[in-house]
Amino acid sequence: MSKRIIIDPVTRIEGHAKISVFLDDAGNVSDAEFHVVEFRGFEKFCEGRSFSEMPGITPRICGICPVSHLLASAKAGDAIMAVNIPPAADKLRRLMNLGQIVQSHALSFFHLSAPDFLLGWDAPAETRNVFGLIASNEGLARAGIRLRQFGQEIIEVLGGKKIHPAWAVPGGVRSALSAEGAAKIRAWLPEAHQTTQVALGLFKKVLETHERETQLYGNFPSLFMGLVAPDGTWEHHGGRLRFTDSSGSTIADQIEPRDYKTVIGESSEDGSYLKSPYYLPLGREDGIYRVGPLARLNVCSRMGVPKADEELRNFRSFGHGSVTSSFLYHYARLIEILASLEYIERALADPDLSSQDLRADAGINSLRGVGASEAPRGTLFHDYTVDRDGKLLKVNLIVATGQNNLAMNRTVAQIARHFLKGTEVTEPMLNRIEHGIRCYDPCLSCSTHAAGKMALHLQLVGPDGSVVKDVVRD
Amino acid sequence: MAPAPVTVPEAALALDGNILVIGYGNTLRQDDGVGPYVAERVSDLGLPGVRTHVAAQLNPEHAELLSKARLVVFVDASVSPGRKVGLRPVRAAATLQLTTHAADPATLVALARDLFGRAPEAWSLTIPAMQLGFGEEFSPFAWLGVDAALDEVTTLLRSRVDS
Repeated sequence: MSKRIIIDPVTRIEGHAKISVFLDDAGNVSDAEFHVVEFRGFEKFCEGRSFSEMPGITPRICGICPVSHLLASAKAGDAIMAVNIPPAADKLRRLMNLGQIVQSHALSFFHLSAPDFLLGWDAPAETRNVFGLIASNEGLARAGIRLRQFGQEIIEVLGGKKIHPAWAVPGGVRSALSAEGAAKIRAWLPEAHQTTQVALGLFKKVLETHERETQLYGNFPSLFMGLVAPDGTWEHHGGRLRFTDSSGSTIADQIEPRDYKTVIGESSEDGSYLKSPYYLPLGREDGIYRVGPLARLNVCSRMGVPKADEELRNFRSFGHGSVTSSFLYHYARLIEILASLEYIERALADPDLSSQDLRADAGINSLRGVGASEAPRGTLFHDYTVDRDGKLLKVNLIVATGQNNLAMNRTVAQIARHFLKGTEVTEPMLNRIEHGIRCYDPCLSCSTHAAGKMALHLQLVGPDGSVVKDVVRD
Repeated sequence: MAPAPVTVPEAALALDGNILVIGYGNTLRQDDGVGPYVAERVSDLGLPGVRTHVAAQLNPEHAELLSKARLVVFVDASVSPGRKVGLRPVRAAATLQLTTHAADPATLVALARDLFGRAPEAWSLTIPAMQLGFGEEFSPFAWLGVDAALDEVTTLLRSRVDS
């Protein structure tokens, strides 16, 4: 008699989702699926709006990573106008994206994931959260919050506000970095560096005692994709696409983001609004690829900044070719924070950041524009088709969480196969399954909120649809 | 496994003694935007010692902001049953709310207390919401709540700005 286990909703991820674990007649895990059950419809309702409005609209997709949508949208606008934006504007956009990477990764590491591996998988659910972290290590919890705040501060200094800044526009940006803003960021950098180094030291110790998690949390061969510079250096805003396989071999390189359809196919699944992109030349079954910090560190040849490059060398010792364990997304996140801090420090010394030559202006010179940028969770594509007046006829968004969808399914199945036997459902076991998802730090962009708790709801459903077991964790 | 402590600048922990009004919600989801709207109207009043802050959602880093204020008012849309604007005291509580994408007022007050050493007096002002579809227009029902909420919050603030 086959059964299905549903974890609904999944906690400590950005948005609402549920997990179904399918059991075969013998009670063993046969498969798993990660569903997104909330419909947003941005692609459809943006049709008919002007492309120039999109940097103001699309950041509303998400309260967590609005900057990613802002930048990808502005870049799509650049392409429609067929302009090269001023160098200062490009550098300023990059600075904001670095702030975004820092704040998002800090939230993921310190507050959403660290409670699991620092407090223990078997710790009671009511204490395995940031308050448990405070009780265990108040300084670390505070430092984590302030690191996130540092990233948010960069966004606010540039964009005027932390959430939904309408600052990047087709053709460039609206304003430069003020001397006061630069001083604020510069003064905060030493503390941000210190926090990152502490976290890196801590996580490397975690790895010494979490060999099993490293082996079992999404450790499987797959492809990896991310943007890289022409020489293969880590990229987060410009560059072109590179795919590598699990042996570390590059299988596609320097693909222009506007040509993404030559390498990425999109499929959909029943019961989920999340699309499942795959590497087109290999098809859906074999073309599974991962994006985000783990992937970016796998596809790049170097970080391009000294401290992060040193960490990258250590990171790569965990793989044979590519690093294939999704548990190491956490390590990759910290290395990317470190790299971002180094790049921010470098950027602050660039006089271009106070330039007033910030925006190129033009009309409609191309009826299609694609913008790609590395969001904290992975490569983000905005693909717009417009008419001669710039009115949007078609919008296609490919988001990081979608691109990791197939990998998340496989991760959940791998963890469940090891820890879930029969129908005995324990809280620590559920948390391990959830943590497999948290490794990817998925962002489902609920875009609205309501008062109330996010509970964990698990159901065992028999083949006739009846609920065999119902577990709710408040 | 205790790492070396990270040095936090003293200025970051200093009390500014202000009253803080935080309006939060998604301004593109109709009535969900009432919190930011009310906060902006409070800002227009220019009350001495009153600062306002608008956010899509409450986040952990707001805890530091809270810890500097002597009084905080959270303004939010509510989909809970009930048709009246509610003004209720907020008590620090280490809920599970922060395990997800946003924090609630009680959690933030607890975070301010536990991480930054100070929990302000806090109030939650909730405005009933009816329509949460895509759009920037409030429903007539929400507008009634906005007017009542502005009365409530200004009465509270005026009674406290000089205290």
